[in-house]
Amino acid sequence: MIDNFKKKFIEEATEHIQDLEQALLELEQNPTNKPLIERVFRAMHSLKGGGAMFGFEKISEFTHNLETAYDLVRNGEMEVTNELLNLTLASVDHLGALLNDDSSNSESVMAQNADLMKKINELVTAGTVKKKTVHNTIEIDEEINTKSQTYYIQFQPNEDIMRNGTNPIFLIDELQSLGNCVAIPIVNKIPTLDDFDPNKCYINWEVFLATESNINSITDVFIFVEDDCLLQVNLISDTNLLTNQLFLDKLEEINVNQHEIGIAQLQDFITSLTALETKQSNKGKDERISLSSKDQTISSIRVASDKLDQLMNLVSELVTTQARLTLYAENDGQTELLAIAENVQKLSRQLRDNAFGIVLIPIENMLTRFQRLVRDLSKELKKEVVFEAEGTDTELDKTIIESLTDPLMHILRNSLDHGIELPQIRKNKGKPAEGRILLKAFYSGANVILQISDDGSGIDVNIIRAKAIQKGLISPDAALTKKEILDLIFIPGFSTATNITDVSGRGVGMDVVKRKIADIRGEVDVESELNMGTTLIIKLPLTLSIIDGLLVKVEETFYVIPLSVIDKIYAVEHSKLTNTFNNVVVLDGEQVSFFYLRHEFEIAPFDTAYEQVIVVNYEDKRVGLAVDTVIGEYQAVLKPLGKHYKKQEIISGATILGDGTIALVMDTNKAIKQFANKTLTTEDHK
Amino acid sequence: MAKSILIVDDSESIREVVSFTLEHEGYSVLVAVDGKDALKFLDGSKIDLIITDLHMPVMDGIGLIKEVRSMPDYQRIPILFLTTESQAAKKMEAKEAGATGWIIKPFVPAKLVEAINKVLR
Amino acid sequence: MKEATKINSYLTFKLRDEIFGASVAKVLNILEMIKITKVPKAPVYMKGVINLRGSVLPLIDTRIKFDMGETVYTDNTCILVLDIEIAGETVHVGALVDSVQEVIEIDDADIQPSPSIGSKYKSEFIDGMVKIDNDFIMLLNMDLIFSTSEITLLRESSGDTQVEVETRV
Repeated sequence: MIDNFKKKFIEEATEHIQDLEQALLELEQNPTNKPLIERVFRAMHSLKGGGAMFGFEKISEFTHNLETAYDLVRNGEMEVTNELLNLTLASVDHLGALLNDDSSNSESVMAQNADLMKKINELVTAGTVKKKTVHNTIEIDEEINTKSQTYYIQFQPNEDIMRNGTNPIFLIDELQSLGNCVAIPIVNKIPTLDDFDPNKCYINWEVFLATESNINSITDVFIFVEDDCLLQVNLISDTNLLTNQLFLDKLEEINVNQHEIGIAQLQDFITSLTALETKQSNKGKDERISLSSKDQTISSIRVASDKLDQLMNLVSELVTTQARLTLYAENDGQTELLAIAENVQKLSRQLRDNAFGIVLIPIENMLTRFQRLVRDLSKELKKEVVFEAEGTDTELDKTIIESLTDPLMHILRNSLDHGIELPQIRKNKGKPAEGRILLKAFYSGANVILQISDDGSGIDVNIIRAKAIQKGLISPDAALTKKEILDLIFIPGFSTATNITDVSGRGVGMDVVKRKIADIRGEVDVESELNMGTTLIIKLPLTLSIIDGLLVKVEETFYVIPLSVIDKIYAVEHSKLTNTFNNVVVLDGEQVSFFYLRHEFEIAPFDTAYEQVIVVNYEDKRVGLAVDTVIGEYQAVLKPLGKHYKKQEIISGATILGDGTIALVMDTNKAIKQFANKTLTTEDHK
Repeated sequence: MAKSILIVDDSESIREVVSFTLEHEGYSVLVAVDGKDALKFLDGSKIDLIITDLHMPVMDGIGLIKEVRSMPDYQRIPILFLTTESQAAKKMEAKEAGATGWIIKPFVPAKLVEAINKVLR
Repeated sequence: MKEATKINSYLTFKLRDEIFGASVAKVLNILEMIKITKVPKAPVYMKGVINLRGSVLPLIDTRIKFDMGETVYTDNTCILVLDIEIAGETVHVGALVDSVQEVIEIDDADIQPSPSIGSKYKSEFIDGMVKIDNDFIMLLNMDLIFSTSEITLLRESSGDTQVEVETRV
């Protein structure tokens, strides 16, 4: 069980560390911002408390030191200096390392730990007038005493002790649990009913306790109320007086007289007694409480992602089944059934949207890492760069965000390393010394667009071209448009940096970025103006598991074409498609090249008067795809085709229709590229 | 009927460890993530004890304690706060606001139960 | 006393007239023929996909893999749903077979190594042979057979068949 807590703590601590980092970066811009300081403090505080509870003492100890520093900041006794921020940010990284259980023992981490702690402490001592801490330490008698001793406890609560929710009876009860106890309530201060205030406490207690516990355990009982009462605890005997009948008689006398006896008089009495030592211990009751049934209300919960995946799968199944129900109801024609089916459709749609909403998280979550990268790297490269983000509340599927971080980091590194110039060079170019990188996110239909632009040196197409020729990627006389040249950077093995630096020349090029983005069904594009800057445009699907598509049929097979790429649908005479040699058809007065899917899929032509041509957007062109029939819009729950079909790029997945038939989801971009290449190569052969 | 304890803490791990311990002790446990969230539970329903963290976003522990004490239904409810601070100042502030007692973090389950036994039976 | 050996269960099936055995641990299910959705531009042995209780199952024409031509559907044609390991990952795949025979128990000791010469199939695909009555049953390495992208499992010497298979479609 404790391991579970530990795991949760690690998750949570990771978040705190991230939040801390984020807050620090903001604090850097705004060093006197009180709420930010509070946020920093709170994150540290949580790390400290949790760390100690879940066995991460090092974290707890370390954050304690940090917290001390920020406590001073919070109280205005210390300023947020660059030095402090740098040290704290280094500490943030260090905390990450400490959180990793294995690394906490490694020597380098420990050395780092000591070093950072020392620096923090130096800052704390240097920057401040040392605060005086007043500590009333109680001398603790460490001697273990297994014999019962008798204490005399005088407990006189203030009248309004119950105002804070304290019930003095509980405290007496607790004393009882410490050993053999006689508690005598002195009730003579209780007023008459007219003056009686039920919210007030009028009772004092005279308590006689024979216990093996030491005096601290007794004062501990009253720890919450020490300021709300008069309390005196005196050791009156090294033996258990409560087994002495004479002593008990005396107590009975006190009870009857309702008079506090007072320590002096009591001691006199005790010395007059013949002490009788009896060993008697009475331990607290061994209470066994059974587990009660859960009765919880939770305002927010954390869910393991595999549970979410499962939920998504179930929702997908439901959507599929619902489609089947709708189909059946339509065929059956019963009004009642139709109404039910419609309702189920509405509900499952809502459920689907809801469930998909759960796995969407704002891109904000990635930003801290980016900010940190820009901050650290620009310093390292001696460049001045400001990183800005727009549309950070734009949400994307969790898995997309996860797969996106690395490529984006790479793009940013490129911008910092090769894009943004050194301050002096920028000045010479007439640009502000400080460079700017902007991450902009926005929705576009069923897609999210991310743009990362810098105002750096831009990409020199001549250099790219020369390099591509040198690498044998293009022939020296190839006539390429600017866009085509820029696209060369995505070709595997192409690296634009003339000198490979430590930063982005790690053998990972833009081709990897492109591939990683393609893995999540995204596309990446580049735009660049020399000396003006470079923009990378990433287009991503909102979610990976559902697409709005158009259901079409070619021979016996159903295909789904994503609506997002569809421009228009035309019915075209069969003859117009077959009687063309360059595969171009005129639609709305415009020449559109098209592919006849039957032909591409090696199926005999369809004998019909009219065929449907779906015009889709392909790169910046419009391309037609001729199919047999168009069935209608369809919400496809994407299912993978499996590893065996991994190479069939033109089909990105499958979906199951209402009647159980499988429809294939077409990736029109890849399909058209493949068809076009094939046409090209055939032409080459001629 | 099991006693109900409302736990208010922005840290999920603390919430979990506290609720786990208390459920095991036979209490029925409600959880809230901050002071404001906690107030939602204080609608006259039966709650026997509130355990709250002091440092929380939105509404902190002190704020919550003050709010609770101003509510007729909960004027006398015991309130424990969780604190790592040994500083007397914070404790005093919480006590003045109306807290019944405190629990020092980190705590072992036994300490938690002990503190609760002081204020709830 | 004879040393205790391991006894394993195998499902036997027919491709044309030859009998093959697959460890039952690899076979999840046996299905009757159902509607197959063809996937365009796929290798010939990839028959298409079928709907297996809501998920999409790729289907392989086992006969093509064994260079026996495309499966000719009969009432006995079945789909074995297999649990295949590809690079440490478990993948489900359907295998078309002409007919399913029976489940037999085979003592490890009775398994003979597959002949290194004389067999038309590459030896890595065959775990061994066993003789039951008068039939030789080839015990197959299902993981390898159904994860390789090689079109046929034939030895290199009969290399021409590859082209032959492709042109047959």
